[in-house]
Amino acid sequence: MAADARRHEAARARWLVSGPPLLYLLVFFAAPTLIMVLASFRSPGEFGGLAPLRDDTGALDLNVDAYVRFFTETVYAQVFVKSLVFALVTTLVCLALAYPLAALIARSPKKSRDILLLLVILPFWSNFLIRIYAWMILLGPNAALARAVNGVLGWFGAGPVPLLFSSFAVLVCLVYVHLPFMVLPLYANLEKHDPALLDAAQDLGASAWQRFWRITFPLSLPGVYAGAALVFIPALGIFAIPDLLGGPDDTLIGNLIKQQFLETRDWPFGSVLSIVLTVSALALVGLAAWLGRGATRGAERVGA
Amino acid sequence: MNRTIRTLLAAAALALAAGAVHAKDQLHLYNWNNYIAPETIQRFEQQCGCEVVQTYYSDNEELLAKLAAGAKGYDILVPTSNAVEALIRGKQLKPLDKSALTNLGNIDARYMNTSFDPGNVYSVPYAMSTTIIGYNDAKMKELGLPTDTWAVIFDPKYLEKVKGRVTVLDSANELFAAALKYLGYSANDVDPKHWDEAAAVIKKAKPYWAAFNASSYIKELTVGNIWLVHGYSNDIFQANLDAIAAKRPFHILQGMPKEGAVLAVDNMVIHVAAPRPDLALKFINFMLEGKNSAELTNLIGSGNPNKAAMPYIKPEILKNPAIFPPPDVAARLEQLKDLTPAQRRLRNKLWTEIKASR
Repeated sequence: MAADARRHEAARARWLVSGPPLLYLLVFFAAPTLIMVLASFRSPGEFGGLAPLRDDTGALDLNVDAYVRFFTETVYAQVFVKSLVFALVTTLVCLALAYPLAALIARSPKKSRDILLLLVILPFWSNFLIRIYAWMILLGPNAALARAVNGVLGWFGAGPVPLLFSSFAVLVCLVYVHLPFMVLPLYANLEKHDPALLDAAQDLGASAWQRFWRITFPLSLPGVYAGAALVFIPALGIFAIPDLLGGPDDTLIGNLIKQQFLETRDWPFGSVLSIVLTVSALALVGLAAWLGRGATRGAERVGA
Repeated sequence: MNRTIRTLLAAAALALAAGAVHAKDQLHLYNWNNYIAPETIQRFEQQCGCEVVQTYYSDNEELLAKLAAGAKGYDILVPTSNAVEALIRGKQLKPLDKSALTNLGNIDARYMNTSFDPGNVYSVPYAMSTTIIGYNDAKMKELGLPTDTWAVIFDPKYLEKVKGRVTVLDSANELFAAALKYLGYSANDVDPKHWDEAAAVIKKAKPYWAAFNASSYIKELTVGNIWLVHGYSNDIFQANLDAIAAKRPFHILQGMPKEGAVLAVDNMVIHVAAPRPDLALKFINFMLEGKNSAELTNLIGSGNPNKAAMPYIKPEILKNPAIFPPPDVAARLEQLKDLTPAQRRLRNKLWTEIKASR
């Protein structure tokens, strides 16, 4: 009897604790997503927004025009693929930069770890846009960086290249903005590794590379996947960076979506683009999770 | 216990009442950034004993999107004519009570009774700008490039000399208008064949441009990174003021293309859900006074439709043909009309193709 009551109480406490965040997700994620799905089947309003659900004759005005448009006018898919490539490159570069950094922090003495972590998140203390504007100055044609790069290029007889307003600038900033999101989960993972495993491997004659590739890396894969998801998804939808730093060719899917809601006043098509973005992000995260599970199992085997 | 609560409640009620007595009347002005002189606002606040609360938007589409999503609480909006057209069709505006607008006669008749709002039922012209060429005078002279034709923005023959030093507005409507004008069509031409021609012109010129930019080109002109832009007359005016303030060895000048350009007239309108239409009317009438209207022109170099403002405007601005175009130039300026949803879809497709092309 008492055990039953205790169980009841535990269940209630669980709901009390998890209820508010669940409700929050329902109201602020599920509901807007549903509205977006509905909007994608309606017609654009003249004034912006959506055309009335029932037309003059009273018939329901629901159609798949916006979807047909996405799948027939290939230029949109083309921009979409380009965004995927940008997000993928950003994720890989972030991984390559963040891994050594996270490992360094995880292996530093406990005292300095907190300071190093603080330094990683320090950029968040100033506004995102201000940091992008700072990059505009750093990459400008009269800044030291552009002069140095073009000086070296001139040596090899190559013409001067613009750094600002280029795909390069967009990628640099994408990496810069998202790097902490890769470092933190990697650090959280690497910090928990048991050094005894590496010692044991060394005793058994494993080289430094083997110790990393056969032990550390497989064990860190959950951190790698978490970091990759945290970087890839926001990088895929970003519009401010290509708007401010991109050249004439650097339109990404985020810019296209923004255009539909502002300049073109075509909310249904904007919704379709957003849905395609959400679905592909979910699919990719699902794939990563699936791979991650396999990897974790592999890691467990290594650990065992 | 009970008494404590009652005392607290009484105190709270008193505080609220006191607050209500002290709270000033408020006029909510939803305006472009930096689009009214601070001293003008101060004077209006003194005159009406109210407080002006300003919020800002950076383009008409932002304003339209916000209102389409149901935003309320604004008294006055200052949209461009084509957005006024959309707002009228969307039944978002309140008809103006002309009896309260005693200064309406100050507006030049040329800017009244327009096709988008016949009889000025909803709107009163506020200020104007043109979309023209802005350039670094030293560089253009050195390179021997013309500054009075859209060819310098679109023709590779000229662009070769300024490759990577040119920006154009990140706005499909503005850039298509310029390209259509360059081709000799109306800025409001809606023939899809002519749009294709315009898109081809843009695609051919694109490799020479540094960026599509509507946000930072003022700064880039001022520091000398960018030498030539397709931009708004007010912004180019601002870039020159900044260049002078920074003692740069060049000026940023305005070039009026001989093919003609886009004229944007911004209008004062009252939102249908305005909390204080009475204050809004007072504000509109106040802004129609010559002196108040002139202060904006003196601040940002905007065009001015108010005849009574002319005596208060700085002579050097009055002489500037890009701000106060002579009649033959004015005749080639066109206000953009709003597009239909189908036309907007087609334009967006062309625009995306332009942006995605290499």
